[in-house]
Amino acid sequence: MDMENKMMIKYGIAAAVILIGIAFETAGIGEKDFLGFGSVGTWLLFIGMVMVISTAIRGKKERKVDERMLHVAAKANRITFICIIVAAFIVMIIDGIRPIAVPYHLSMSYLVCGIMIAYLVSYRLLLRFN
Amino acid sequence: MTITKNRMREMREKRKVSQEGLAEALGVTRQTIISIEGGRYVPSLELALRAATYFRCKVEDLFGL
Repeated sequence: MDMENKMMIKYGIAAAVILIGIAFETAGIGEKDFLGFGSVGTWLLFIGMVMVISTAIRGKKERKVDERMLHVAAKANRITFICIIVAAFIVMIIDGIRPIAVPYHLSMSYLVCGIMIAYLVSYRLLLRFN
Repeated sequence: MTITKNRMREMREKRKVSQEGLAEALGVTRQTIISIEGGRYVPSLELALRAATYFRCKVEDLFGL
């Protein structure tokens, strides 16, 4: 897939997120505090705008990806997978000792952030030292 | 996993090519060339063949056990 099509898909997804956010706001769906935002709609609008800005900043620059980078990415995937299992095990034990009461959307956002951080850190370290 | 015999650096220096130049010619990043020369990364068969073609030698002249 060429860069033009990739950019179009990214902008398309961002536009869809913004439109869903606007629809939620006008329909009054999810009117409560959500991940530090006033409602689900405003959060979706924020995410959509972030997607538009990040796509515009990255631009059409073609990134060079060679076989070693793919090899390192596969290794980083495996490390991330192990991190998720270990973290889940730790959370299960802590929950067994003292029940954890966290809203589902917050726990999912922690999970996504944790996965991204584990992947990025392991990828960067492996790329640097492997 | 390391290849004990790796003459990529030697061949490159003989041809007076920089790591950047070789990386460009082989379609990889400079970091990949550094890793191969350092014996930390074992190239794929395709990359080894491309390197051999570039240096006009056999693959076993470049890499070996």
